[in-house]
Amino acid sequence: MSELWEVLVRHFPEFRSGFLVTLQLVAVSFAIAIGVGLFVGALRVAPVRWIRWLGGLYVEFFRNVPLLVLLSIAYLGLRRAGIPIGPWVAATASLGLYTAAYVAETVRSGVFAVGKGQIDAGLALGFTYGRVLSQIVIPQAVRSVIPPLGSLIIAMIKNSAIIGAVFALADDLLKEARLIGSATFQYNEVFFWAAIGYLLLTVSVTFAIRAIERRLVVRR
Amino acid sequence: MTSNGHLIEIENVSKSFGSHLVLDGIDLAISTGEAVVIAGPSGSGKSTLLRCINGLETIDEGDIRFDGHSVPGAGKDVFRLRAEIGMVFQSFNLFAHKSVLQNITLGPIKVKGLSESDANGLARDLLERVGIPEKADDFPADLSGGQQQRVAIARALAMEPKLILFDEPTSALDPEMIREVLDVMRDLAHDGMTMIVVTHEMGFAREVCDRIAFVDEGRIVEEGEPKAFFEGAKSQRAKDFVDKILRH
Repeated sequence: MSELWEVLVRHFPEFRSGFLVTLQLVAVSFAIAIGVGLFVGALRVAPVRWIRWLGGLYVEFFRNVPLLVLLSIAYLGLRRAGIPIGPWVAATASLGLYTAAYVAETVRSGVFAVGKGQIDAGLALGFTYGRVLSQIVIPQAVRSVIPPLGSLIIAMIKNSAIIGAVFALADDLLKEARLIGSATFQYNEVFFWAAIGYLLLTVSVTFAIRAIERRLVVRR
Repeated sequence: MTSNGHLIEIENVSKSFGSHLVLDGIDLAISTGEAVVIAGPSGSGKSTLLRCINGLETIDEGDIRFDGHSVPGAGKDVFRLRAEIGMVFQSFNLFAHKSVLQNITLGPIKVKGLSESDANGLARDLLERVGIPEKADDFPADLSGGQQQRVAIARALAMEPKLILFDEPTSALDPEMIREVLDVMRDLAHDGMTMIVVTHEMGFAREVCDRIAFVDEGRIVEEGEPKAFFEGAKSQRAKDFVDKILRH
């Protein structure tokens, strides 16, 4: 037990810096995922067929290629092709664009979950299509998308571990843990604390999502 | 049969969904202040006819005129028209993310430009009128079906429409809640609201409405005053329908 604490105390600066890097990595990737995901999700429900198809192309590509392969393409492939992409950009873009595909699908299902009756009721009041979207479809879709979005964020936090582990693109929590491990050979203790670090992130997200859910979710 | 002075004139209207002919040459004219029931077996095109009147569905042939103007298929005019025609749906369709009060005020505020305080006052008056003033701050999911439908009627009334379309307003309700909704509709009819009601409630048809149009297979088979319809329907199909409904 004392060894467990000892590792944490002695290597706290590295743990902390790794934790903060993971936090940044996740925050930036999440911003990309939401921005791109909302846009692609909007394409997926557009009234024009070829625009929907374009959105579908994005989703099928980024959802069906393993994250590890995306990282290889972004970091190794693009560099080899002469595009000077930094490790941080490669990492956040890969994780963000990969997650965006799932966000887009969630948005699509959220929009379709808004009943046709709700739209009819808006139109019957004399709302234009734009107003039906802004007053009824989007507010309801946002609410029904919150719970699945929480699962996506948690999956993304866990996926972020690949970045430091495989290409060492960022000095994130897992990479720091491996460095400490190889210096001390106390792998059990080190990875225990790494796991706690990830749990800290995922559990806070769980609570945050639950709080938002309680305030916003639409009961039908 | 169309003459001036009618609020709605439906003339030789036909509509198909794919190869299925839903409306087959419908003629119907309704004056201001009239309450007309459209009756008929399921799938006979009654709801579609209602939805064509406020442009939620487009027609293939014929003409529907509201207040002297043809119902436009698209464009700004159709939104303006819908603001003058209320609609009450079978499944209520209250906005699930809005409170009862907000459900009623949303249209007046967004479409008619009422101030929030004016709209709130109007909404509270209307809730009083449909008998549930205490539910203003509840959400639709907290209400019974009958209460939801009364809010939906208040929502339609808040736009001060010239006509209200009722699309099977009691068909999704438990029997003990049908009465409270029909009572509100009866008061509306007595107050002179022009209404077209698709319903299977033959008690309402007999006692409240001015005229019944019996629709079968996309055609108006018979049309007339309720007494004549229930006691001496001319067509065999209408007779069979009355028989089935009254004896069930």
